[in-house]
Amino acid sequence: MTEAAPTLVEGVGLRTRERNRRIQAIVLAWILALGVWQLATIVSDGWVPSLARIATAFVEDATDPEIWAEIWITFRRILITSVAATAIGITLGVASGLSRRADAFFRPIVVIGMSIPDPVYIIVAILVLGTDESSALIALVIALVPFVVTIVVGGVRARDRGLDEMSAVYRLGRRRYLLDVLGRQVAPSLLAATRTSFAFAWKLIVLVEALTQPEGIGAQIYYAFRLLRPDHMIALALLFIIVLRIVEAIVFIPLERRLFRWMD
Amino acid sequence: MTDVHRTETRPEVEDDYIRVENLEVSYDGTTLALADMDLVAGKGEFVAVLGPSGCGKSTLLHAMSGVVRPQAGTIRIGGTAVRGSMGDEAPLIGYVFQDHRLLPWRTVEQNISIVLRANGVAVTEVDGRIDRYLSMLQIDRFRRSWPMRLSGGQRQRVSIARALALQPAVVLMDEPFSTLDEVTARLMRQQLAELWQESGQTIVFVTHSIREALFLADRVYVLTKGPASVLDVVDVSVARPRRYEDPMLTELEGRIVDRVMRVWGYEGPETTDEAER
Repeated sequence: MTEAAPTLVEGVGLRTRERNRRIQAIVLAWILALGVWQLATIVSDGWVPSLARIATAFVEDATDPEIWAEIWITFRRILITSVAATAIGITLGVASGLSRRADAFFRPIVVIGMSIPDPVYIIVAILVLGTDESSALIALVIALVPFVVTIVVGGVRARDRGLDEMSAVYRLGRRRYLLDVLGRQVAPSLLAATRTSFAFAWKLIVLVEALTQPEGIGAQIYYAFRLLRPDHMIALALLFIIVLRIVEAIVFIPLERRLFRWMD
Repeated sequence: MTDVHRTETRPEVEDDYIRVENLEVSYDGTTLALADMDLVAGKGEFVAVLGPSGCGKSTLLHAMSGVVRPQAGTIRIGGTAVRGSMGDEAPLIGYVFQDHRLLPWRTVEQNISIVLRANGVAVTEVDGRIDRYLSMLQIDRFRRSWPMRLSGGQRQRVSIARALALQPAVVLMDEPFSTLDEVTARLMRQQLAELWQESGQTIVFVTHSIREALFLADRVYVLTKGPASVLDVVDVSVARPRRYEDPMLTELEGRIVDRVMRVWGYEGPETTDEAER
């Protein structure tokens, strides 16, 4: 005997139960993580800061205007490097995806670029260009571009060639083709590339700031480390993570919804 | 009374608006898709190109639209040579693909307007044309819908509306109804025949269905197995409007089947990916 399809009311009930289960799983994961952390605090004789100490440090940092100035410095650096890396990566990625000759030229460079450890870029940039802010930013852009290129090339190659033909037959022109046909097809890759460069930039910027810069969240984390204040190290990192999550919620998620609303 | 004429492979058409001569197209310089292909269509004529799957019919349309550059031969549309890349001087061509090829991220009206705007249709005229052709194809209620919300038949109607709204001199159609169910396909054929009679556009319609070709066309070019060249040209002088089950079409269909069975072979043609493109 076949199973009857769920009614509308049953369907809504199933979705609610499914959502409740997800919420329960998330809550459980948080309780476990916080429990393990608290346990580590006890076991380490206080070297791992307790949740209460971290919370206190977090409130102190979050209410300190100077910390917000440091956050802005780091955020500006992330913005510059990720925008530059995304722009260069998309240009090279689209060229490589559309042209075999361009791909033959850029591929070896990208492969080598991907296999070089990121700190090497930073160290070489410091040796060659000094400890200026610009040298660090250049090193980060060079480190990020190969990742963006790889993601974009994949998106361009996977495009629907039928739409290329349609564009040619109807003479849509280069601008409309790039924006309306190719651009929209590779939009998921472009978004992924932008997110990747944004996320990587944050991780690398902190390292660069810790090594070379007197300002920024990375410098502040390193300063807290030298003063043996792990609670502030964690609080500063948490504060910046929250800022990045807000950017995700304000910029990336609405952009994603707008780009893919035709799929709803 | 059915009036069927077998003509020469290069029939004398008074007004040869489209003239394809000795066309040769190969992919990668090795796989020959078209060999010594000829085709003539007068202004406002409905010409069907009939051939087995994979024989190179689509390649012919690709060459006529300028997407594919031929190795030899000439294509002239409205007196202008088509040379593989479409310059501004080339006549406007509407193209209905086997699959709809609509931009899924654009609404129905945006899919049409982007083509109209790209081809210099004035902004003030775009809305009117979209209204007109969507109404003609009875899909005006889907004007602001996303293509993926539409059925296969509705999408293909949008694709036809896009081609016709451009008001091109020539419309090329590449098996546009082959993916639709038979009932929808019959309705669409009927609709296309009516639209063509109203518009007076020149249509080159590629199909592997003999009945479809005979129902729609003034003249049917029967092609050989790939690489395609013209096997026969059949004038269909059955009065319009036609009925799909018209006995005269059945008789004609029987004759064409007899003719092509020997040439296409019972086992069907060998197909290659290149020839299918």
